[in-house]
Amino acid sequence: MTIQHSVYISTDKVIVDGKALELTEKGSALLTQIYRSHIGDYPKFFKMDTLCKLGFVASELLLNSEGNRNFEPREDRAVILFNRNASLQADTNYQSTIQDSENFFPSPAAFVYTLPNIVTGEIAIRNKYYGETSFIVIEENDEKLMEQNLSVAFQDTDTKSIIGGWLDCTDEEHFEANIFIMEK
Amino acid sequence: MDELIYKLKQEIIEALNLEDMTPEDIDENASLFGEGLGLDSIDALELIVLMEKNYGIKLQDPTQGKEIFKSVKVMAEFIQKNRTK
Amino acid sequence: MGGRNMIVSIANNITSPLGMTTAENYAAVKAGKSALKRYEGHWGLPEAFVASLIDRSNFTDNRYTIVEQTVIHSVAKALESANIDTASPKVLFTLSTTKGNVFLLDKREKVFPQERVRLGMMARQIASYFHNPNEPIVVSNACISGVCAQIEAMRHLERGNYDYVIVSGVDIQSAFIVSGFQSFKALSPEECKPFDANRHGLNLGDAAATIIYTRKDSVSENNWCAYRGAIRNDANHISGPSRTGEGSYRALKYVLGDIDLQKIAFVNAHGTATPYNDEMESIAIDRAGLSNVPVNSLKGYYGHTMGAAGVLETIMSMQAIDDNNILATRGFETLGVSRNINVTNQNQPTEKKAFIKLLSGFGGCNAALLMTKGGLL
Repeated sequence: MTIQHSVYISTDKVIVDGKALELTEKGSALLTQIYRSHIGDYPKFFKMDTLCKLGFVASELLLNSEGNRNFEPREDRAVILFNRNASLQADTNYQSTIQDSENFFPSPAAFVYTLPNIVTGEIAIRNKYYGETSFIVIEENDEKLMEQNLSVAFQDTDTKSIIGGWLDCTDEEHFEANIFIMEK
Repeated sequence: MDELIYKLKQEIIEALNLEDMTPEDIDENASLFGEGLGLDSIDALELIVLMEKNYGIKLQDPTQGKEIFKSVKVMAEFIQKNRTK
Repeated sequence: MGGRNMIVSIANNITSPLGMTTAENYAAVKAGKSALKRYEGHWGLPEAFVASLIDRSNFTDNRYTIVEQTVIHSVAKALESANIDTASPKVLFTLSTTKGNVFLLDKREKVFPQERVRLGMMARQIASYFHNPNEPIVVSNACISGVCAQIEAMRHLERGNYDYVIVSGVDIQSAFIVSGFQSFKALSPEECKPFDANRHGLNLGDAAATIIYTRKDSVSENNWCAYRGAIRNDANHISGPSRTGEGSYRALKYVLGDIDLQKIAFVNAHGTATPYNDEMESIAIDRAGLSNVPVNSLKGYYGHTMGAAGVLETIMSMQAIDDNNILATRGFETLGVSRNINVTNQNQPTEKKAFIKLLSGFGGCNAALLMTKGGLL
């Protein structure tokens, strides 16, 4: 297995294939800045919760770096991501719509993001990936454990490459992505 | 009516996170779904919540939304007739 | 299977409103019983709902949440018939859940520390209860998690990473989950009717279920084997199923490979009884060439048990074949999907020894698992 490209995003830092991008914003504004300066043609971005925004911009930078994007349907690429907090930011946001019994208006647009694997679906939709998508929650950001779980995914003989790695978010301003393309 | 239409446009932009859009960008006669604003099924459900929260209108049958959400104008007319707040 | 290790189920349990053991659950379902009931004013929710809920008062260990207690009960029961040492590093705990302890986010909940809302922290409670030294894995892929966790177990065992994997699926309903599905207008006001012309949505349900898997180089005719599994995405919409059943069809195609379809006793579908899910599944089943194979759904007995569903429904399907039976689809009367698939409306005999478990979920994900008794196809 080989790692082909990598993207790291934290609250105040963006690194693509080892090179830092010059961006001025922090936190949620940083994600919007990446979207506006490097993507810009996917208004659904603004509807996403923070985990999906993070995963979306990180995967876009990763795939732009890989190059030759044609958005043709493919089944040989999996998307398998890991984190510690599952969909906590979206969960907290949805809970706020039902917390007060006097002001009880459960929001479907908030509820739909209360699953960590929605981000793997967003990436699959954007890129027409019909392959495996999966989300695994572990208590620690443990590279060995992730590698073990990614390497077994190639036992699906259709899977030739994986967008994998860490994608975690505690609230709108605090997050970390460390994702890569892994080839068989 | 014009006032309600303008207010409704603002509320839709906010509730559906239509970033970069202003009320002036929305044609009150254009279809909200499909070709027009390009909203989807979750947006439709969120508009049902908006009508309940801001105007006290409870839609029991979600398929009713199809008629009501034809355009901002149709939606405003429905609200005008049925609002309880 | 020459040269190939088989992944064998050695023990299981279902903990649900229909019983605390697999045998109790199977007897209840075979007799057509359902735990679905109407709840009004429950958890302070303004709208009534129909669900299958566990009696919380049966779980009294206040060190653990209701969610953790049902899993611990399920694992402990499964372990009664499996002679394994859970303190060994060769044993892995794999948990399948969508919402875990999410009810702890309610500001009125004060008993447990907030960190227990994290799925990994919840899984650690369970692994450490059984003195397991490994970091547990939580698979959280919406409604397909239970099959994904079994696929994860198969892969680790095939690779030799562990000797035993304990797969538990759980979800326990709360105001959070029920109100969310209500806002989606996805809940049926009555007992759900999978694949029926008059279906009006799903019911939710509580359950925990456990399967313990190991690797064997030869299997007997009574061994249940996890033969092949696949996960595929629709790449269509985050909450609406594909109109062509793309992901489900592709997952089915992968698990079926070139096996003889005559050997499949039935497809245990997701069959949530929402208009779109059942329609999508009918298309995928038909496209995969399975329209003559009996199809059933267990949602009319248990509701949709989310993270537990894939594990629970796999166990019930194994029990049914052990009993030479294909279970009826409770609530189904008249076919209400566009493809002419063969949905069961009563228990019927079978001599066949293999079935397919099919699931779909939010995020466009779909999973299929082929289980065979005796390991040969």
